[in-house]
Amino acid sequence: MTNTPEEVGERLVELLPRLRRFARSLSRNQHDADDLVQSAVERAWRHLGQFKPGASLASWTFGIMKNAWLDNLRARKRRGEVALPEDSGEHPAVSPVDTHTSLWSVSEAMNKLPEDQRLAVAMVLVEGMSYKEAAEVLEIPVGTLTSRLARGRAALAAALTGDDGGNPA
Amino acid sequence: MKYDDETLMAYADGELDAKLRAEISTAIVNDPTLARRVEHQRALRSRIAGAFAKVMDEPLPERLLDAARGKQMPAERGKVLQFPARASRPPAAPWRVREWAAMAASLILGVLLSWRMFGPSHSEVMVASGDALVARGTLANALDTQLASERRGDEPVLIGLTFKARDGNFCRSFIMSVTRTAGLACRVGGDWQVAATDTVSASGQMQQASSALPPAILSAVESRIDGVALDADAERAAQHSGWSPAP
Repeated sequence: MTNTPEEVGERLVELLPRLRRFARSLSRNQHDADDLVQSAVERAWRHLGQFKPGASLASWTFGIMKNAWLDNLRARKRRGEVALPEDSGEHPAVSPVDTHTSLWSVSEAMNKLPEDQRLAVAMVLVEGMSYKEAAEVLEIPVGTLTSRLARGRAALAAALTGDDGGNPA
Repeated sequence: MKYDDETLMAYADGELDAKLRAEISTAIVNDPTLARRVEHQRALRSRIAGAFAKVMDEPLPERLLDAARGKQMPAERGKVLQFPARASRPPAAPWRVREWAAMAASLILGVLLSWRMFGPSHSEVMVASGDALVARGTLANALDTQLASERRGDEPVLIGLTFKARDGNFCRSFIMSVTRTAGLACRVGGDWQVAATDTVSASGQMQQASSALPPAILSAVESRIDGVALDADAERAAQHSGWSPAP
């Protein structure tokens, strides 16, 4: 590592808006999303020694967040966690004022996707990653990424058809 | 159908090689159905991307800036209630109400024992104001100033969890050891309105740590809490802001 802690810190700060956007597309509400961002950057700091110089800090950090998100989901399932207030859907990941433009329904539709499809959609459609970059972050072959993305898109198109936000399918 | 959805999706995403891309670009010109299918792929993409685009312009929460700069190391988060730091903790997950309650409760027994010996005289801590009960004296002072992360353990009032309520106001649970009263107070205007109180179990039962915050208080917490309890940094930030309601 040739980066000083200050440099790493500033680069992570620059990444925060994207990390938050990514987290928001994976989480049910804003609070959970920011908790996810926080645990991801904390993990990044803890495991900084594993970061290969020359690699993309963004891809590496997105990968950490992906793992943190999956760990959270598994932990919740293991605990058989009862829905707490933040899971009630009353504080969705997009602001309720957006509901008239049906952004809320996008968030709801995303939440119904299986985990692997949600990750593919979040990385390519929300974050604008190339298939190759998304496949690397997810540690899967590009072909697998492509088919997950296609299935996720088809499900989203079906879920969003007929509401007032347009007719993507 | 010559081109399947997966191929058209990749075309819309700019992911095809030059040859296939040129082939489809040409085909679209003479095939309105094909053009529409590509357009649906593009529209879906821009709708999904657009739904989350605004997040990029939102102000960044202080806790995330601190975490990104490495200021808040995970080990610090485990020390919120001054428990002995462990050599290696698992990554700190946000604490749930019951975890906070259990931690707070496990401190009470020792406090109660020392309180008997060192406690100051009991003065008025709650007064009626309109139709609300408002904290005063030692209680108001503790609610204003005391941070769970800086607890010594011998305070007359123990602050448990601090959280943001759904109406944006801050609420804090407390236990007054001398009267064995637990309660929940929420900031309204410049006052701490006491939303609920209950009696803490007798000391014999208090070894069951999680039972110490009475169910009435726990349910008062759960009916108000927006998200999870504040961590040490957020608690400090809220105190610095004078407990003014979060935007």
